[in-house]
Amino acid sequence: MLDVAPMGDMPHLLLVDDERSIREPLAAYLSKQGFRVTQAGDAESARTRLTAYAIDLVILDIMMPGEDGLSLCRHIAATSDVPVILLTARAEETDRIIGLEMGADDYVVKPFSPRELATRVKVILRRATAGGARQHAPEANSYAFAGWVLKSGERALVDREGVSVPLSTGEYNLLLALVTRPRQVLTRDQLLDLTQGREAAAFDRAIDNQVSRLRRKIEADAKTPELIKTVWGGGYTLAAEVIRL
Amino acid sequence: MSRSPAIRTRPWPRSLAGQMALLIAIALFVAQAINFTLILRDRAEFRLAQATRPVATRIADALDREAHGGRVLTADRGRIRRLPANPIRHGTTERHPEVAAELRRQLADQGVVVGRIDTGLRPEDDDSDRSRHRNGQKASDTSSTDHRSDRQGSTLLIAVEQPGHGWLAITAPWPQPGWRLLIAVLTQTAILYGVVLLPVLWIVRRMSRPLRDLREAAERFRPGEPGVPLSPHGPDDVAALIVAFNALRLRITAMLDEKDRMLGAIGHDLRTPLAALRVRIESVDDDTDRARMTETIAEMNRTLDDILSLARLGRPSEPPTDVDLAALVDAVVEDFRDIGDDVTFVEADRLRMHLRPSLIRRAVRNLIENAVKYGGSAEVRVEADARSVAIVVADQGPGIPEDRMGDVFDAFTRLETSRNRETGGIGLGLALARAIIREAGGEIRLVNRSGGGLDAIIELPR
Repeated sequence: MLDVAPMGDMPHLLLVDDERSIREPLAAYLSKQGFRVTQAGDAESARTRLTAYAIDLVILDIMMPGEDGLSLCRHIAATSDVPVILLTARAEETDRIIGLEMGADDYVVKPFSPRELATRVKVILRRATAGGARQHAPEANSYAFAGWVLKSGERALVDREGVSVPLSTGEYNLLLALVTRPRQVLTRDQLLDLTQGREAAAFDRAIDNQVSRLRRKIEADAKTPELIKTVWGGGYTLAAEVIRL
Repeated sequence: MSRSPAIRTRPWPRSLAGQMALLIAIALFVAQAINFTLILRDRAEFRLAQATRPVATRIADALDREAHGGRVLTADRGRIRRLPANPIRHGTTERHPEVAAELRRQLADQGVVVGRIDTGLRPEDDDSDRSRHRNGQKASDTSSTDHRSDRQGSTLLIAVEQPGHGWLAITAPWPQPGWRLLIAVLTQTAILYGVVLLPVLWIVRRMSRPLRDLREAAERFRPGEPGVPLSPHGPDDVAALIVAFNALRLRITAMLDEKDRMLGAIGHDLRTPLAALRVRIESVDDDTDRARMTETIAEMNRTLDDILSLARLGRPSEPPTDVDLAALVDAVVEDFRDIGDDVTFVEADRLRMHLRPSLIRRAVRNLIENAVKYGGSAEVRVEADARSVAIVVADQGPGIPEDRMGDVFDAFTRLETSRNRETGGIGLGLALARAIIREAGGEIRLVNRSGGGLDAIIELPR
């Protein structure tokens, strides 16, 4: 295992993957991006390094021989506040749900773009340092608000009649950001930050456009919005009680 | 014995119960027909004997008495009358030569030699009532009485020529087989039908009910859904079949589980080197090269996804739910717009459907992907009527030659003409889309528009 020497106050990442062909070039890339990277080839050595170093964030492969990534993820979430990003080879929704239930903050599906991974690492670290309180990505499976239910696993919005209204990736990310922070005013920059960290798709779309699309879907009258309100000079806020299901 | 309507409308029943019932009915009918024929023959022989034997005896006795100085036979009294000529008028009465032949044989046995013998059937009338009564009594003395009731009063007039002495005339009873016999045979047949067919139908039903359950279980069988094994019932043979079916179902499920595990392993084993490659190309300095490599890897990954989805389609993990199909298509289109593709959606009303949203999303996405790839842009609209829903993806591309329309759906084949511009099979994407839509009970059609461009149409039943 190749441990990188300490370098000032660079964020310290622990990269856990049994595949050297991924782990080593990824560690090299992340180092170039300004992170201090410690590598581990299995869960056991990862646990050792977690206690040995002050790790800021763990990048964790799910499929590993021996103890798998999900089990290690649960251990990390239970024993510390260190955020976790999961690497998964399967794009199936069930993996995403399970991973997030295990306390992971985010996940990327192989083959992933290292740039996107670096972006997400930065977003999560910035959230962790700026916000203080850690924002676990969806802890709950569903959020109920104003007669609607947003199901995070299925990326679906379910109405009062139980009919699911599919959302685009951008709409889903925006709505998820809003329902996880009800009655908070979120600026366009914050929303961009919160939505683009998860999927690359929403990068170039204006937040306003997504908001108006969402309003058409969930507001009784999109011209006089009652749920997603525009805050003058600020941004948007979800004016509804949200119940985590 | 109730029969299903199908048996009435078709000449030959196709169900087990119908075929068995019909076969047994036919066999019983044939057996009864043979039986009936034998009875008729028996009765004919009995009638012949009954008609000839007493007549022969009487003639022999009368002639014997006359020869030994007894009463002389006359034309106007006595059971046997002597007449100068043959009293039977020809052409008006039915003759029975077999009676004549038998009578001649009987008389010869008694040592009486006669000339011609003639017979004539005389329908019963009031005049001969008395004589018939007497004859009947006589007949009943010499034979069993059980046939008396069948007699429908005919009398056979027999004339025997005594060479040199004119003709001797005598009557004999000539019973006709009546309706009563027919009714008796029919009643017997009906009882037989009841006695034989009811147990047969019962046993057939006992067999056919578990067979029907088995058929329904086989039709219901979806490898992805666990389902309850069918409890073995019915006769042993059928119960054994059900047990074998349950075992077969378990084997199929196990094989599919194995396939899923294998596909999962393949997916993992292929994605890992792809992921390694994807990480490594970040060190390529040339932006254009890196972008191309990224795109190639993404394309390989999409193909891998499609292969895995296609192979897993038989047992989808996602249950069907109520979905607004218009919003679903809109969301897919929005994802394309987010990455900068020229795709438009024609606003549509809410359209509630029951389907598997992720799979349908994928089918719609594959069609739009093709449209963007070969047509540069796509216009997507949803059309609904009372019975079906159509999702139309219209592009401005070159279309597909009519003679190749069927080919584009075959997985792993691509058209060699204008559509073969890029790597990544058009075939696989379309094959997956079609497999998904067919699984949902719909169909995909490709139509070249007269003005140019192609319409890819997903049709789903409502």
